[in-house]
Amino acid sequence: MTFLLPAFIFYLLFTAYPIIKTFYNSVHLIQPNASDEFVGLSYYFDILFDDRIFSNALVNTFIWATAAPIIDVALGLILATALYSKIPFARFFRLAWFTPVLISYVVVGVIWMWIYNYDWGVVNTLLRTVGLDAWTEVWLGNPSTALWSLILVDAWKWVGFHMVVCLAALHSLPSEVIEAAELDNCGWFDKLVYIKIPMLKTTLVNLLILAFIGKMKIFDLVWIMTKGGPLWSTETLATYTYKRAFQWDTFNLGYPSAIAVVSFGIVLVLVLSMSWLSRSRERLEY
Amino acid sequence: MLARNVIVRSLILIVLAGYTAFAAGPFVWVAIMSLRTTTEISDNPYGLPFPAHWWKYPEAWFNSNYEIYFLNSVLITTGAVLLLSVMGAMAAHCLARYKFRGNRLIFFLIFSTIILPPQITIIGIFQILVNYGLYDTRVGLMLVYVAMQMPLTVFILEGFFARLPQDLFDAARMDGYSDFEIFWKITLPIGLPAISTTVILNMIYIWNEFLFAVVLLVDDGKRTLPLGIQRFMGDNLDDTGMLATGLMIAVIPVIVAYVFFSERMIQGMTAGAVK
Repeated sequence: MTFLLPAFIFYLLFTAYPIIKTFYNSVHLIQPNASDEFVGLSYYFDILFDDRIFSNALVNTFIWATAAPIIDVALGLILATALYSKIPFARFFRLAWFTPVLISYVVVGVIWMWIYNYDWGVVNTLLRTVGLDAWTEVWLGNPSTALWSLILVDAWKWVGFHMVVCLAALHSLPSEVIEAAELDNCGWFDKLVYIKIPMLKTTLVNLLILAFIGKMKIFDLVWIMTKGGPLWSTETLATYTYKRAFQWDTFNLGYPSAIAVVSFGIVLVLVLSMSWLSRSRERLEY
Repeated sequence: MLARNVIVRSLILIVLAGYTAFAAGPFVWVAIMSLRTTTEISDNPYGLPFPAHWWKYPEAWFNSNYEIYFLNSVLITTGAVLLLSVMGAMAAHCLARYKFRGNRLIFFLIFSTIILPPQITIIGIFQILVNYGLYDTRVGLMLVYVAMQMPLTVFILEGFFARLPQDLFDAARMDGYSDFEIFWKITLPIGLPAISTTVILNMIYIWNEFLFAVVLLVDDGKRTLPLGIQRFMGDNLDDTGMLATGLMIAVIPVIVAYVFFSERMIQGMTAGAVK
């Protein structure tokens, strides 16, 4: 039992206690050099019914957490299938695609700000080269393109991760089944849809849920690239909480705590219902 | 049939090469820009680095406190990873080996923290560190990192330790090993591959961590590398060439490590997702 003690103390001090504190904050007015004042559930009502920025952040985070995992896993699976079919240089491809996973969001964010630069960024330069000048865009400055531009960067960073996991899962499948399908002249696409995807179902569902959990936390990339702008179009739950707690000089940690509690509740409900929906009896593997 | 196969295969290869350009291109571009001056870059953003301005590297390193940021990152990461490995292995050993009431409950609690959004803890952690005088200290941030990565570390290690054959431990007990000796002489040496996996995972996460660092550190002398890059970015916003050099300095150690330990790093990073 004593083996568990150090880790458990850490858990109590730096995880359980802060969470309880956050719940406590969320029903109090917390100001420096003043005693806490009980305000009941008023923050919650404000957040749920009056705070347009919050609802915006919630929608953005939700779009991100739904779209990005699907892109990541789908692309990862397709790339993994390609490598699985004994392509030359497979090892090199695998290593190269995984690189972005290791690089900090801060670096990734700066690089992609250049790629999206209006005057000399790669995207607009490519569009101009092929004569599509009309399609050039201030990618991060236009509220209707900013969010999707960020989601693309996020996908760029994580596809390699999903590819590696899918590839490992593919290699662990019984090869007889796939060989049998090949003997039956089963096409590439049919093989993927009718054989590989059903057999990989558990892995894929786990990856989706895992990616969903990760994306609901997204902060770094947004903070480096757009700080939630323009016009709240890339605001996420994490960036909004951060702004209310440490940036806007409201000197009240109560309100952002309530935001944190609400986002926590939403994540919890969504994750629980997802793992329930997937109905896989195995425990969620992380 | 054979000709068709060759065509299909080369098509796939072309697509894959295209994706490789997409995945690795940005790094190549930055690496090239890091050797060019901003004037050269604004003349032609896609030119090649001739002549190569190697002097930009020492310049970026010495004019922006990089050595301090680097040292801070090394100290914090090493300390946190050490604590995580020892304490995580102990906790995982306990959960995997001893059957006691509440065993599964504790495991579930630890596991459920993995899904928590960081916002739920960060405000409370900020207040607690301020109260204990650990706000804006490297030790404070390191302790927070230990707590942050503990659940995943225990989760991965428990999965590995639980599969070790029980006979081994029964035999050791028969030979009169104490609980501590069993952990120290059996679980740790056998569990070394799993532990090194978590070491890699934790190192990369902590090395790159940004949110907690930005909240908990203010003083420039305590900043970690990601914060340093952010500051460097603020100072050199229009100096694209120098900023590219700064980014490369941050990327190079990771890439060098990746060249030598690529398989182990891939395995470490995906350890949570594949079992």
